Amino acid sequence: MSNYTDHKKYEDYEFEDFLSDEFFVQWVKSPSENNLHFWEKWLISNPQKRGVVTEAASFVRSIQYKENFEFTDEAYIEVFENILKADNHFRQLNTISPTKTSTTHTKKVNSIFPVRGIAATLLVLFCLWAQYEAFNFKTDPEPIAEIVLVKRSNPAGQKSIIDLPDGSRIHLNANSEIEFPKEFSDEIRLVSLKGEAFFEVQKENRPFLVESGNAKIRVLGTSFNVKQKTNEPLYVALVTGKVRVNADNGDQVTLNPDEMLVMEEGGKFYKTSFDPLGVTGWKDNYLIFKNTKFSEVIDKLENWYGVKIAIKGHLDPEWTYSGVYKDEMLENVLRGICMTSGMNYKIDKKQIILTNPK
Amino acid sequence: MNNSPKEQSNSTFIPVKHLETIKVFEKKSDCDIWNAFNKGDEMAFNYLYRTYVHKLFQFGSQYSRDSSLVKDSIQNLFIYLRKKRGSLGEVTNIKGYLFKSIQREIIKNIKANTSFEGFEENFRESHFQLEVSPEVSFIKNESEDERKIQVQQALNQLTTKQRKAILLFYEEELSYKEIAEIMNFSEVKTARKLIYRALSSLKEFIKPTSY
Repeated sequence: MSNYTDHKKYEDYEFEDFLSDEFFVQWVKSPSENNLHFWEKWLISNPQKRGVVTEAASFVRSIQYKENFEFTDEAYIEVFENILKADNHFRQLNTISPTKTSTTHTKKVNSIFPVRGIAATLLVLFCLWAQYEAFNFKTDPEPIAEIVLVKRSNPAGQKSIIDLPDGSRIHLNANSEIEFPKEFSDEIRLVSLKGEAFFEVQKENRPFLVESGNAKIRVLGTSFNVKQKTNEPLYVALVTGKVRVNADNGDQVTLNPDEMLVMEEGGKFYKTSFDPLGVTGWKDNYLIFKNTKFSEVIDKLENWYGVKIAIKGHLDPEWTYSGVYKDEMLENVLRGICMTSGMNYKIDKKQIILTNPK
Repeated sequence: MNNSPKEQSNSTFIPVKHLETIKVFEKKSDCDIWNAFNKGDEMAFNYLYRTYVHKLFQFGSQYSRDSSLVKDSIQNLFIYLRKKRGSLGEVTNIKGYLFKSIQREIIKNIKANTSFEGFEENFRESHFQLEVSPEVSFIKNESEDERKIQVQQALNQLTTKQRKAILLFYEEELSYKEIAEIMNFSEVKTARKLIYRALSSLKEFIKPTSY
């Protein structure tokens, strides 16, 4: 550790030297209090290295596996079950009672009292179920008319991908929540959404219905983005396929690809075109500003990175910002914004202060 | 027999306890987590499984596209580790240890299915493919795109060993020490050299034109 904190060590570093440095890679990939503090400080005293550091960081982040092999939820639970089942042959009840350490006699007991074995299996299955629920879902499912509902939610600064039992996929944005039954019924696939999500719906006979605010969005197989935030209109942007939106007051709109529906809270609505990257880019980690007002920039950053931003000094209400970032560190985004706006920024853990010196 | 109702009621608080324990383990060192697992702590096992199983699957799939083979290998590895609880050695980097173990298990299983020469050939051709994500710093322009293609071409020229080391270093965030262990190098500096050489061969492509 001692050589890591040596400020001098990095002074003569070039592109490939940073790239082959473990502590540098650690900072880029897993920023922690320890490395953030060091590198922030180091960059302040070595401003001439900012360019090369940014480039090197960008290279580190861009390296990835060419193919993604996804370990499905089904595989996750199946393997977990099998591991514990195999274990059961050896240890039996000790699996859930770590304080009991004697293991030698259990086999014999097993053959004499098969009922105990069954009880143990049931118990292990119960624990599995309980653990699976605890692993995957923020809240326990509540049985409503025998339908087990699954709720998943993201705090600010976190996005997730959710695969539904029918093969559809949901990209859930930060500060959003989705609820759906563990098993869809035979007639309909119903999910309800608070916040923003991008849906890739598997085509099949059962209609797919999204409840969001006062509207229901009905589709067969298609991909589209839904955004519903408190005190804001509902936005439904269609990428492929066809969707129909039904408002509570009986209004109905059909959308074609590249059309976006904007529905005000009072039920008034209109159709418009949209910029696909601007609307759906978030699911591919694009952070996009397009003539974005300052207050919205702040909201977006807070939401995206899970930070709090405070402003000091005068702000021009007319000021807007444009920029596209992918998988970018907060620091780099702030740098971009401050470069064009002439502001200064300071990062203190999760608290950012933007200062206008003018 | 009359054990079961008692145990049942015991287990009802497991989910809550489990969530708390996940939080506890996140802050612990690999050494402590491993010791807890070795002592039979089920929460430590849950934590290990939850934390590493996806990574192990991604890494293991670099060797074989047969997902059931990779799945079985992961399963066998954890069954083996659980069986050995109480007598497991010290582990200071769990991820490195699990990667090395799963690699051994998968290669063993592939060998059991195919002839080794066939596997070796396969290894050289297609495994540990890497790519550069379409990283966009500011508004991207055409020359940026062109550079990306060049970088991808340069990456394609790396050897499987180099690609593997680069993925382990950047994507998996393993240290040179762990990479050396996974790749069976007797010295850590061999891993360092491997990556440095790969970087130098990429240098002209990845080095920014100006800064």
